[in-house]
Amino acid sequence: MKKVKEFFRYENAGLLFILPAFLYMLVFVGYPILSNLILSFQDVSVKNLVKGTKHFVGLSNYVTMFQDEVFRKAMGNTLKFTIYCLIFQFIIGFLLALLFNKNFTFAKTVRGLTMIPWMMPMTVTALMFKFMFSTDVGIINYILKSLHLIQQNVEWLTSPRTAMIAVVAANVWIGIPFNTILLATGLTTIPQELYESASVDGASSFQQLIKITLPLLRPTIESVLVLGFIYTFKVYDLVYVMTEGGPVNSTHLLSTYSYKLSFDLFQYSKGSTVANVLFLILFLVGLLYLKITMQGEDE
Amino acid sequence: MDEKKMTGKKNVIFCAVSVVILVLLLFPLFWTLITSFKTEKEIFLIPPTWYPHELNTKSYAAQIENGDFNMFKSFFNSFVISTGAMAIAVVLAVPASYAIARYRFVGRKAMLLGFLVTQMLPVSVLLTPMFIMFRNMKIYNTWWAPVLADATIGIPFSVLILKNYFASIPKALEEAAYIDGCTRLMAFMKILVPVAKPGVIVCAIFSFLYAWGDLAYGMTFILDQEKRPITAGIFNFMGQYGTKWSYLTAFAIVAIIPVTLIFIFMQNYIISGMTNGAVKG
Repeated sequence: MKKVKEFFRYENAGLLFILPAFLYMLVFVGYPILSNLILSFQDVSVKNLVKGTKHFVGLSNYVTMFQDEVFRKAMGNTLKFTIYCLIFQFIIGFLLALLFNKNFTFAKTVRGLTMIPWMMPMTVTALMFKFMFSTDVGIINYILKSLHLIQQNVEWLTSPRTAMIAVVAANVWIGIPFNTILLATGLTTIPQELYESASVDGASSFQQLIKITLPLLRPTIESVLVLGFIYTFKVYDLVYVMTEGGPVNSTHLLSTYSYKLSFDLFQYSKGSTVANVLFLILFLVGLLYLKITMQGEDE
Repeated sequence: MDEKKMTGKKNVIFCAVSVVILVLLLFPLFWTLITSFKTEKEIFLIPPTWYPHELNTKSYAAQIENGDFNMFKSFFNSFVISTGAMAIAVVLAVPASYAIARYRFVGRKAMLLGFLVTQMLPVSVLLTPMFIMFRNMKIYNTWWAPVLADATIGIPFSVLILKNYFASIPKALEEAAYIDGCTRLMAFMKILVPVAKPGVIVCAIFSFLYAWGDLAYGMTFILDQEKRPITAGIFNFMGQYGTKWSYLTAFAIVAIIPVTLIFIFMQNYIISGMTNGAVKG
């Protein structure tokens, strides 16, 4: 009995090591999540933020938001933005991973250097792409014109039809390294002998890709896509700096619209409501991710 | 990776292709750098010049002079904020990850889950409540607000990365220390942390970079321009001087100096952080 007690005390000593971090997160993340939820059931604006009564309004913020045209637009935009980004960054990232998986002299060095875009502060990335996509000085218009793909300068960021393309391009640039590195790591786990015996049996490279690489890489592909979804769905700074959600709300995402409601229009409760919807979607997708990763987690 | 080294013509072709891809990928950075050394007039030339014909360093010089284009101060602010956030994240995450790797205490799984979930949080969820909280704590409009907020990105990331490092250290190492009369805390500090040092460095780097790249917290919790981080400074300038591209690109280059230095000297740590850790904040 004494032994059991001793043992138990030993394991729970871990609590002393984890408690500082846990309490910190409880105060600065746990409490805000809860308080954001409460905020979305109240009617807090700049008038009653600090003092004054905050009325409980039930689900009315949610009802208003789902009837709000900009909200619906932002919801659609967020989905569109995320899906376009995922498709392009995955395809490019996958091709690069296949390339860097070959053992040529520059493979490691070049693979390392392609990671740079991922580390840039998003504000800087946004600035660079805003410059390149600008109508008159933008290098992109110049290149497209030189290639005779367009006759006149495109107003990328000031026209509602094209602004989304520009922000997607910027985000894909950031996302490629993330996809490349994770997929390249996944590729190294596939035993080389499989390919060798497949080529002995006369399988073409394309057949090898379909029959060996893709099936064996499936767990990696799944987690790359789910993580990519989570990370893209909540992108905020990039779009806010490039377009602030405009023109005519054409690039408003749930994240930028939530920020605008809270900190430009000072409708804190409405902003929280939008943020909560965003959070809920991420949470559901997050559960999917946990299901994938926790399989390998020890009890 | 392919076991056998590529040789001959094939190798040359692959090297050439990879260099072309690299040039295309890094073109935005190259273009920003070139532009920052051009005069405002040259930037508007058509066709554009591929290198500055007239070298202009005024955009950089203006950043240490007094006046509107002084970015030196906000660079310093960013440095203080990021270092602070990094310190908090490392000090709290190192023992926490050790606990998760080594002990099976009550609530372990729930806490681990909590760290995983916070990694997925959008900033928008935290912004308003934090804003209200920091006002009540009387630290709104001080460096403390973004420092405390930025650390919440670094902590979960660091815990999840470091637990793998601690888990890979043989238990015998720790037990030997206990036999020699070490307390748990001493064994942790003197034996385990030094062994897990590469992991600790990865966490420090990423916590610093997350904070360095943050815009939302710095912009929302600090009102005075002279206390704001460099990202907020750049954003502010884009609003005010939207077409002064010579200055804007120079600000961008200055803002990525630390990122570039970290990349040059610590590339391997970064690759390891990206493959082991999950989401970017």
